[in-house]
Amino acid sequence: MVEAFAVASGKGGTGKTTSTLALGMALAEEYDVTVVDADMGMANLLFHAGLADVETTLHDVLVEGGAPVDDAVYERHGLRVVPCGTNLADFEAADPRRLRDVVAALAADTDVILLDSAATLSSRAAVLPVVLADRVVVVLEPTIPALSDGLKVQEYASSYGTDTAGILFNKVRDADAIERIAPKAERYFEGPTLTTVPASERVRAARRNGRPLLAHAPESDAARAYREAAASLTVRDGDSEAVADRFRSAVVPESP
Amino acid sequence: MKLPEGRLLRSRVVSDPRTVLVDALDRELTGYAVFEPQDALLLGADGRGVVTFRAGVPVVAYHTGSERAGPPALADLAAEGPYRLRLFALAPADLTAVHDEDEFRVPPGMPAERLAGDQALAERTREAAPAERLAVVSNGGAEHAEPVVGEDGDDRQPGAVEAFLDDAEKIEAIREQARDEAQQRADEWGFDDVG
Repeated sequence: MVEAFAVASGKGGTGKTTSTLALGMALAEEYDVTVVDADMGMANLLFHAGLADVETTLHDVLVEGGAPVDDAVYERHGLRVVPCGTNLADFEAADPRRLRDVVAALAADTDVILLDSAATLSSRAAVLPVVLADRVVVVLEPTIPALSDGLKVQEYASSYGTDTAGILFNKVRDADAIERIAPKAERYFEGPTLTTVPASERVRAARRNGRPLLAHAPESDAARAYREAAASLTVRDGDSEAVADRFRSAVVPESP
Repeated sequence: MKLPEGRLLRSRVVSDPRTVLVDALDRELTGYAVFEPQDALLLGADGRGVVTFRAGVPVVAYHTGSERAGPPALADLAAEGPYRLRLFALAPADLTAVHDEDEFRVPPGMPAERLAGDQALAERTREAAPAERLAVVSNGGAEHAEPVVGEDGDDRQPGAVEAFLDDAEKIEAIREQARDEAQQRADEWGFDDVG
């Protein structure tokens, strides 16, 4: 079985990478999980996962005649993590079209693929993870710009045949207000509110320490919220071969 | 809401309202900003948002299209950028009358939070705000400015985010625009065969 989720927000600063890793670690208690940094232009999964010094990244796999996928897969925190590098020249040399082959190769050997997506919808490479995924998890903050951009992500996703698994409110500072805001937001999103994650200094500390939140502060309220989100996410039992075929046959054009 | 025109400091098109709020704070502007969305679709033909400032800190918000004031006006002007923005300086005395209208007021950090989604800027703005504008409450260790309310203490005024979510028509316009954009780009990018 395998299901691919794009973790997306359309807007920067919502805590998407933190959320991707935290959801990944929480899901890993039940499933084999692979987390891929699909934000190729602004990679930061490697910093969150303590992989800043690794030699081979997704960029090295995406260049012509590049490294095999397995060289860029790292076992960390009970997950398989595929980081991107931060070198701009490597990014320019990488061909995002090859991402579908990478995802297809990973799909053969995992239950859940989480694609940490770019915080924009302005380029084909940025939208590609949303196109390739089965479902999207929309990361929101309780602000108007984040909600507005989250709605856009959902419309893009559904236009490309990708369902919404749910919404996740991050950096929540006012617990009373979110109880009023979340149900109103749910009227417009196709999926339920998976969880609301409180704003927390421990999230920032985890990031500074290069450790995922669930490793740094597993008993924090924020970590608990992510476990709640994972528990409410029913992973669909996709056929690995069919999913891999779909990725391989995804039509992605040449020009940027 | 009537304001004298004042001295024009800046007139340009910006894509992000954050730019305006940072500029006003850095200049310690006493005056007001007029936001005019380029895309009139979402706000109706003559929808303009006005935010006033004292010493760089937002005081009141008003929307000429919806004629709503306070936090709901922030929701009305939080449409899609780009905006045509004009920033005017005024003498403090010219603002007294509108600043005395309690229902027009917004908490100092709210425009940064709700329009720009920028907590750090909201914090900076609160730090710059005079103490009497900050009704500080304890909330899980974090301190937040609450809406400045009248003597009656009516703090049930819906926040800007809720007002935004209550505006089904505007949200449908955002979704429709995104759908059109996604379709158009699917053609450009050749995504149409992806399923």
